[in-house]
Amino acid sequence: MAQAGKGRLNYRCPSCFMRDLDMDMFYDKDKDEYYCLRCQYRGNEADVLAKNELARFRYGAMNKRFTDFEDFGK
Amino acid sequence: MDKFIVNIIHRPEMVPEYAEKVTGQGKAEDLGRKALLTESLDIFKIQQACAHKNGLKTTIQMTYASLFNAEAVALAKEHHETFGDEIALSLLGLPCEQFREKYKTKDFCIWMFSMEDKKAIVRDVFGKFYEAFGFYPASTGSYYMDADLINFIKAEYPSVKCAVATCWEEGPKAYHTCNNSWYTFMDGGPWAPWIPSKANTHAPAANAEEDSGIVAIPHLSRDLLACYDGNGSNFGTHPQNVLRGMIYDTSTWEYPYLYNLIDQYRSLAKFNNSYAYNMMFVGPGWMNKMGRWEQPYELLLKSYEDGCAYYGKLKKEGRLEDMTMSEFADWYRENRHYTEPECALWRDILYGSDKQLFWYCDPYMRACVNMDQGGAIVDLRPYAAKLEWPVGIGTPHVQDASYPFLIQEKYRAGYFTHYAGEGTVRSAKLCYRGEEADLCLCRTKAHFSQEGTERVLTLDPVEIVFRDMRLTLQTVIRFPEGGSGVRIERHVLEMSDPAAEVTLNEYMVGCYGTTEYAEDMTSLTLRVEAGEESEEIAYAYRCREASAVNAERVSCSLPPIKTRVTLEAEGRDKCGYVREGYAFSPMFTLGYTGTLREKEVFATWLRLERED
Repeated sequence: MAQAGKGRLNYRCPSCFMRDLDMDMFYDKDKDEYYCLRCQYRGNEADVLAKNELARFRYGAMNKRFTDFEDFGK
Repeated sequence: MDKFIVNIIHRPEMVPEYAEKVTGQGKAEDLGRKALLTESLDIFKIQQACAHKNGLKTTIQMTYASLFNAEAVALAKEHHETFGDEIALSLLGLPCEQFREKYKTKDFCIWMFSMEDKKAIVRDVFGKFYEAFGFYPASTGSYYMDADLINFIKAEYPSVKCAVATCWEEGPKAYHTCNNSWYTFMDGGPWAPWIPSKANTHAPAANAEEDSGIVAIPHLSRDLLACYDGNGSNFGTHPQNVLRGMIYDTSTWEYPYLYNLIDQYRSLAKFNNSYAYNMMFVGPGWMNKMGRWEQPYELLLKSYEDGCAYYGKLKKEGRLEDMTMSEFADWYRENRHYTEPECALWRDILYGSDKQLFWYCDPYMRACVNMDQGGAIVDLRPYAAKLEWPVGIGTPHVQDASYPFLIQEKYRAGYFTHYAGEGTVRSAKLCYRGEEADLCLCRTKAHFSQEGTERVLTLDPVEIVFRDMRLTLQTVIRFPEGGSGVRIERHVLEMSDPAAEVTLNEYMVGCYGTTEYAEDMTSLTLRVEAGEESEEIAYAYRCREASAVNAERVSCSLPPIKTRVTLEAEGRDKCGYVREGYAFSPMFTLGYTGTLREKEVFATWLRLERED
């Protein structure tokens, strides 16, 4: 098995991202999967993208455009 | 009319941070790779075009490497002539073949070098700049500029009047986010432009004598709530930082958060005599053709174009003024004065929590008041000490440039602790017939006002419910300009039993440090001052207490940070106390108890001063 490299994009580990850690993942071509050096996450591109969506759960106002910064009703 | 000023800064970084590491993965290091140099300059050209297309002028911060590149120098001259861009000099972007060969090191952060090397590098870089342009720059910068470095530059090159001098709250949090490999420890500074003191860059000058001679600007305008809790590099006026935080819709590539952030900064004019500021400074590594993390190049480019377009739109609408760094320094000197504080009543614009913080910064302190915790002070930096804190090789702080805290709720807990001990916070408890309620558990909101030169934060009243009685209490926090104290008033507006009397316990749990980990507390001294009843405790982790009825003041001296913090009180039955901590809770507590009846007020002063 050859050494791992980078994939099409430089994906970070979604599991580590959720704990505020930016960990670049490496790509195992033979298994078509990305894996994290720090934690136990591994998954293909589709799984990484799905987990990244999950990571956005905390951004409850991510899509909201604020018009007032003192009136909490707006 | 409000004045919202933006500085847009670009640097032709011939070996962009990350680019060699990321795009060069699997290749041996080669800082002179032609493809790398060509791409870097292309990115700079694109960034300049984005700004100019939207009618915005920039500050071009030449890097050391770019001064060896004739095309980069020619571009800077041309853009200065055509667009009025300022040609400045960055102390970022040192890595290149010439630098490595000359200094025999891979270090690249100017504040981490020894003072001897700092001087040599500054002379080298400024000299090279003079060779290229025939004048010395008016603006410079890095992620951090320590006081000794600023003082040296100002003495050698008096033309310098402006510098990028810190990244707000970039410290242990950024270090952790980067898998403990990013050594930028610079917590505890101002989030908006300031005049650094000669003693400590983070502590603003209180007068001409303390003035370092430059106007400092922060690297980026950062989210004052998100950056305090999370990775600073996700939440700033840096479009690709927002992408790094994954704060965008993957299907539409939209990121309203970026515009909310800019707009919230604009709104801060209300608290700062009609002035507000923004800074955007994106290094070329963030617009790498290979993409950056999950984001393809097209999204990186779009975000930068959108960021410039939004600033351009505001300018066209007459709601923004673009300035170069040196123009801004002149404006700042003419329009702001030394003791004028920077205030920010900041709301959460990302998580949907409705949390609200108030940040206050002047030459004597930086404080954060958390309305979600009843107006507790959750961060406190004693700038009054103007602590000398040399940074770099050969000093006690090779990497750590943070200004020490007395209170930091994330690193040394706040109200909530596990199992035992206490965390750092300045709050109050109300006690009635054996029941106790801490204001940290009373969520509320605040309103800002200015009474003369005093900044006032008035919190919405909160209700405290005991088994046999309920009361409504309002907190008012006053920051008199030019002093080094905060006055906190507790007003009892109403009691369900008008004859009742509650006990108030005003307290501050503190410690000192710049990181999460405890420091040696044995040099601290706690005092209760009450005439003949005065008592002193030399800190020894023995869990002792001292108190005195009608105490004039209670205090703690902290020699390692040359600071004395004091509490004084005005109110019925006041009794001052101090508490030593213990090994599992390496804190100290200063406090006053007193009593309150309906319509009464109990007030305390928290004062900071230098002590050595």
